[in-house]
Amino acid sequence: MPAAAWLAAAPLFAWLALFVAAPALIILAYSFAQRGTLGGVVWEFTIANYAAALDPTYLRVLLRSVVMAGATAMLCLIAGYPVALYMGRAPQRWRGTLLMLVMVPFWTSFLIRTYAWLTILKSEGALNGVLLAIGIIDAPVAMLYTPGAVLLGLVYTFLPFMILPLYTSIEALEEPMLEAASDLGAGPWRTLRKVILPLTMPGIVAGSLFVFVPALGLFAVNDILGGGTVDMIGNVIENQFKGGARNWPFGAALSVLMMAVFGVAMAAASRSSRLRGLSP
Amino acid sequence: MPRRSLGAWTIATLVFLYAPIAVLVLFSFNTSRLNIVWEGFTTRWYGAMWSDVVLMKAAANSLLVASVTTLLSVALGTAGGWLLHRYRFPGARLWRALILTPMLVPEVVMGVSLLALFVFLRLELGFTSLILAHVTFCFPFVLMLVQSRLARLDPALEEAAMDLGATPAIAFRRVLLPQLRPAVVSGALLAFALSLDELIVSYFTASAASRTLPLEIFGRVRRGLDPSLNAISTCFLLASMMLVLGSEVLRRRSEPVAQGEKR
Amino acid sequence: MRLLPLTVVAVLAAMVSACQTGAPKADSIRLFAWSEYVPQSVIDGFTAETGIEVSYETYSSNEEMLSKLVSGAQRYDLIQPSDYTVQALIREDALLPIDWARVPNFANIGAQYKNLPHDPEQRYSVPWMSGSVGIVVDTDKVREPVRGYADVFQEKHRGRIVVVDDSREIVSWAMATLGRGPNEVTPQILAEVRPVLERWLPLVKVYDSDSPKTALLNGDVDLGIVWSGEAAILHEEDPKFRYVLPVEGAHRFLDTLAIPKDAPNPHGAMKFLDYVLRPEVSAKISEEFPYTNPNLEARKLLSAEQLANPASYPPGDPQLVGFLDIGPAAVDIDKLITNLKAAG
Repeated sequence: MPAAAWLAAAPLFAWLALFVAAPALIILAYSFAQRGTLGGVVWEFTIANYAAALDPTYLRVLLRSVVMAGATAMLCLIAGYPVALYMGRAPQRWRGTLLMLVMVPFWTSFLIRTYAWLTILKSEGALNGVLLAIGIIDAPVAMLYTPGAVLLGLVYTFLPFMILPLYTSIEALEEPMLEAASDLGAGPWRTLRKVILPLTMPGIVAGSLFVFVPALGLFAVNDILGGGTVDMIGNVIENQFKGGARNWPFGAALSVLMMAVFGVAMAAASRSSRLRGLSP
Repeated sequence: MPRRSLGAWTIATLVFLYAPIAVLVLFSFNTSRLNIVWEGFTTRWYGAMWSDVVLMKAAANSLLVASVTTLLSVALGTAGGWLLHRYRFPGARLWRALILTPMLVPEVVMGVSLLALFVFLRLELGFTSLILAHVTFCFPFVLMLVQSRLARLDPALEEAAMDLGATPAIAFRRVLLPQLRPAVVSGALLAFALSLDELIVSYFTASAASRTLPLEIFGRVRRGLDPSLNAISTCFLLASMMLVLGSEVLRRRSEPVAQGEKR
Repeated sequence: MRLLPLTVVAVLAAMVSACQTGAPKADSIRLFAWSEYVPQSVIDGFTAETGIEVSYETYSSNEEMLSKLVSGAQRYDLIQPSDYTVQALIREDALLPIDWARVPNFANIGAQYKNLPHDPEQRYSVPWMSGSVGIVVDTDKVREPVRGYADVFQEKHRGRIVVVDDSREIVSWAMATLGRGPNEVTPQILAEVRPVLERWLPLVKVYDSDSPKTALLNGDVDLGIVWSGEAAILHEEDPKFRYVLPVEGAHRFLDTLAIPKDAPNPHGAMKFLDYVLRPEVSAKISEEFPYTNPNLEARKLLSAEQLANPASYPPGDPQLVGFLDIGPAAVDIDKLITNLKAAG
């Protein structure tokens, strides 16, 4: 390994050490400390926070978060793959424009976008209005403040996070390979299943991570669209810092637990054969 | 591939993506201050927006921070993605875990821990601390996009370049980088969007002078998100649309007439 | 090719560092307050008159403020804590005593807002705005009178209720129906309160502390328990929204201004305090935020319409109890509500 490589990688490692590892250690330290009166921590060692975190209440919330995040990732994949396919095989000069078209909505304020969904989904809102007019329903459906609304909001928020990685993978496919597949008699579905999907697996994995991982710790979408009734682990953690509990060490412990659960899942997954062959 | 059905799906998805945007734009012309029910048409919020010095400053701050964040994230993420792909560094699993960490950690936890770090380093809060924080959670996305793209690329290209006498650095710049362009561009777009909309971490790592737009907007929720906020979002939208159009026009001009659809 | 991005970064970095203001200028104060709680016109007026620049940083909850204050990252001249937070800050010796000689306008504050349990010697805080948490009813949808919590949490209102997303608040209402004040929080009382909440919470459609009026204006809910300021805004929007103080017992909140112990410019801060206590300035604040103004001289300047808003100035001017700091009991409350919400 040439010295030049180490030199070039130094900024990356330094950044990771200083701005990721150090804060992570701070959080770990917090999780073993005690609660301060005004928030903050009192540096006295305790494992009470972990004992409290392993309570069924919080485990239930964690499970719900995992389910929600997982459902979001799956829905984003199903909805996003055809779009990425279309974009990635589009004529070269249209690809950039399509990419921008997908991203541009997300350069507006998240809060205002989500409140706009409130306007659309509410009982007297546009969606109910349209459904009533068409005659699909007889009376307005209460769509808001339900887990369904939260899922919709999550999928909406994370769709570009899925489309972009899929696109970069699909865009790399070489036309000759696909032509070869069809020359050998494979129909479009066969080509998709046997050629395109396996080849774009890195993109699928990246996209799934991009959606699942942040969705796990998110709280804003379900706070607004779920009306506070669909609490996920992100809400509980946030409460420890910004709510009356003022219990930073507990919030830290919950975060560490969440990351540990995720770490274990990732370790198990990376043993699976599908991921072998991707960068470590 | 059944392109027509793919195209239909894409259009349906774009409708989904733009539905709340349409509402957002529409409501920027709403006479009602409370932005919840439509009452009538007016353009006064655009005027109000321009004279709202605090809002304009926050928007400028956000754009500045997002731009610098994107540049740094792309630099760090691209170089990092390639280096980790090309060379086997010891402790690769650890680096991978660290890269995923900013994505995983809840924002409030990240904010609090970064704040503690900055206090420890005696770094005064301001644009620097804000940008450092934003880059930290943006660059992993760029890095992973680059890596996933690299996984698909033919290593023979790089080897061929080096056989022909190029150093790894030149091979990277002249051969790989153009191949990585979609990943880099995607990463830049994502990083920009993430930074522009970042709220919680910004709260903990910003100062009064470096107040960003999301902080300003969220602060107004209690009073009611008045339509001048919709107006500013609409302006952002218009600006980005013009950017898209502009770059399209530039590209058409600089490209010679293409013979068929080659990559 | 590599040079271009580098120069761009360098230019932007230069711009960024030019924007860094660094330490506050000679005569300026650092105000750390709730977002949207100090009108820009008040700040501008103060600067115009005294020449003191005001750097206004905001937060959205007392705990947010504490988390940044406690970290020591910045020193502030003024903070805006609520009553129970002031009490905790005093206990931790984190506030500077106010030199009342520099704040003569303090006389404008009504006697009923002074020497309250959270600041019994009235040494550290200046009342800013008061309010209550009570019931707001859409009288177009709910015809029968709603007098208290028991009336709100009925089966017929299932899925039509909004409440503030504040665990302590919610628990205090349940405690009120059992005849307990909001500050007696012990494990036994929480156990008593639990079955009440188990009945109530499944009836709630929306928990929203930031903008509970949204759900009411949307027509997704018919009634709720919200901050009086929200109710006042709703009433201004449409008089069909009525505000009722629950008969079982309501509590009052009082937001204040206080000076942290390590404030860089305490004299400037006290000048600001004196300025906002002027009747005409305080009236401006009332105009923007229809809460209960503790400045009696300012009340004289308000319009009849403002004074008639039942959410801002409840008829009879009832004397309500305030929240006090309950220390670690807050953790138990948080756990209880999380548990009940998760079960739903």
